[in-house]
Amino acid sequence: MGAFLQFLVNGLTVGSFYALVALGYTMIYGIIRLINFAHGDIFMVGAFIGWTALAAVAAWHLPAIVALAVVLLVAMLATGALGLVIERVAYQPLLKAPRLSILITALGASLALENGVMLKYGAGFQTYPHLLAGTGFNLAGAQVKYAQIGFFLLSLALMAGLYLFVHRTPVGAAMRALALDQDAARLMGIHVEGVIMLTFFLGSALAAAAGVMYGTYYTQINFMMGFLLGLRAFTAAVLGGIGNIPGAMVGGLLIGLLEAFSSGYVSGQWKDVIVFAVLILVLVVKPTGLFGERVVERM
Amino acid sequence: MLKRKWLAISAALAALSLLATACGSGGGSSAGGGSEGGSGTIKIGVTAPLSGDYASAGTDIVNAAKLAAEEINSNGGVLGKKIEIVPEDDQCDSQVGVQAAQKLMDEGVVAVAGGYCSSASIPETGVLAQKHIAFVADASTNPDLTEKNPGNVFRVIGRDDQQGPFAAKFMKEVLGAKKAAVIHDNTTYAKGLAEEAKKGLEENGVQVVFFDAITPGEKDYTSTLTRIKSLNPDVIYFTGYFAEGGILVKQSRELGITATFMGGDANQDPTLIATAGDKAEGMIITTAPLPQFLTGAQDFVNNYKSKYNQDPGPYSVYEYDCVKVVADAIQRANSTDPEKIVEALKQTKGYKGLTGDITFNEKGDRTGELYITTIVKDGKFTPYKKFENGQWVDIQ
Repeated sequence: MGAFLQFLVNGLTVGSFYALVALGYTMIYGIIRLINFAHGDIFMVGAFIGWTALAAVAAWHLPAIVALAVVLLVAMLATGALGLVIERVAYQPLLKAPRLSILITALGASLALENGVMLKYGAGFQTYPHLLAGTGFNLAGAQVKYAQIGFFLLSLALMAGLYLFVHRTPVGAAMRALALDQDAARLMGIHVEGVIMLTFFLGSALAAAAGVMYGTYYTQINFMMGFLLGLRAFTAAVLGGIGNIPGAMVGGLLIGLLEAFSSGYVSGQWKDVIVFAVLILVLVVKPTGLFGERVVERM
Repeated sequence: MLKRKWLAISAALAALSLLATACGSGGGSSAGGGSEGGSGTIKIGVTAPLSGDYASAGTDIVNAAKLAAEEINSNGGVLGKKIEIVPEDDQCDSQVGVQAAQKLMDEGVVAVAGGYCSSASIPETGVLAQKHIAFVADASTNPDLTEKNPGNVFRVIGRDDQQGPFAAKFMKEVLGAKKAAVIHDNTTYAKGLAEEAKKGLEENGVQVVFFDAITPGEKDYTSTLTRIKSLNPDVIYFTGYFAEGGILVKQSRELGITATFMGGDANQDPTLIATAGDKAEGMIITTAPLPQFLTGAQDFVNNYKSKYNQDPGPYSVYEYDCVKVVADAIQRANSTDPEKIVEALKQTKGYKGLTGDITFNEKGDRTGELYITTIVKDGKFTPYKKFENGQWVDIQ
């Protein structure tokens, strides 16, 4: 029982990081049909911006939680801005070009980000300061850390916020309209380029939030960290039904749980085999992913 | 298309290397004649990576060799002649290594002291064996180097299959472990070390309750560790690298695992402590003794610092001993004939090196315990225990 609960708690923690990053993949795909291969690296850059910001605010001697909140906000804004710049430079000129061209520039953006961070911070590992003492409590034999609960709730809050934004605000309605039909949306007077940029901003900011939480929780970051996590998050988005926001959230949590249970009950070596076998199975039975039934409206 | 391009490139490279060896032999024959003629110097070759990813390690090694030669020369040299170090870049690459060995032979070296990467050292020994030139390895730990010994190979450092049994012995005799968990990361080095440790543990009557790999590059190993927790081992031994080692020790403590956490020599890196913070306290590492942990090496460290204005690398002190052992063999052989030097090296018994007494067994490996343990204390790796004269002693 203790082990089962432990796997559940760990799976939900990792899963919420996957879900936050998966949201970026799904939103950008929903709007411009682009698999943004640079998104995992945006998550990585977010973690590095957070690390730099933490070092900067260390001089103020803020309480750990306050410092973390400030840094989270700074990293989300800065990384969101970076997402805008990438969209403007690498994607917007190619929006009318064949899909393949924009896919290649996404790969290019990914490599540029990885190598840029490597040149700036070095190829080695950087470590986050040990802000959260790692204390927690024992729940029927499972160790639950306060940080895990905090980060899980924060992730849920961010996801709920995004969902409400997309479904309850006029700008969100514009985003959904754009996902439906770009040309029609333009005819209705929607500023298409602006909405696309906003999507990139939101997706990048969420990835940055995941990056900072990830760095704080695991304490170790390096320039390649976005690759593996990006791959998993992309898988989560596909599993949930790419283009679908609740699908990305559920997909992320599901992948986290699958990983935790398969490495717990089977073996750490077999984890990826099991996760991707499940993915293939789901796609064979339901090619649009778990939540992918609404093909017309993708947001 | 691509294939043809590669063909062209390799053909060009081959032509270039032919040219280079031709030039090398032209210059080398006169120098070689000098050493045979009674005057001049005795040449000792050093193969090391002087360019590429491991260039800094190679430079540390060549620096140490030169320091050793200088000391020998200032004490009158060997057989009345001065030692000359001839460095050659092997780039940690088997092809380049073969050429480097060829060049050294053309230069007229009487022995070679070097070998950072096993992948380059092993083919080099084959080339040098053609002229019975001794190869004394300073840092190559792959068992194959001496298992496939063509008769001219010696090494002053330990083997991967010595560290595993050493760790097992430590767990049994010092920690009194009854149940152990062994984790590796599926890389050649880590898996080999883990298998050797498992074998050693079983021979010592310690039950291996967990033996599995984690995926390097990930950050969450809590599920694997939860499984280990339920098996309740007395000790956990991780044979992979420091990045994952730091995360593993941190997460195991956070899960409430109290077992002693141990790591192989690739965990000896400050990043491990930075990652795990105070959770790393008490972690024990099995490692080859680094110069800063060797009491006899203080003069060497100081001389090295004052000459090169930097700390010696982890293998500098082993290269220093290599050159000294070769010089000692030349002295005892009373000849610069490579074959006689090989014979003298085989007779090396208890040579007092900075890294301890050096004796070679019939395979060319160094005898005795070549590993020590360090422990993380107050956020630093500090020397802990070594096995000496049949018992475990604290290292001062």
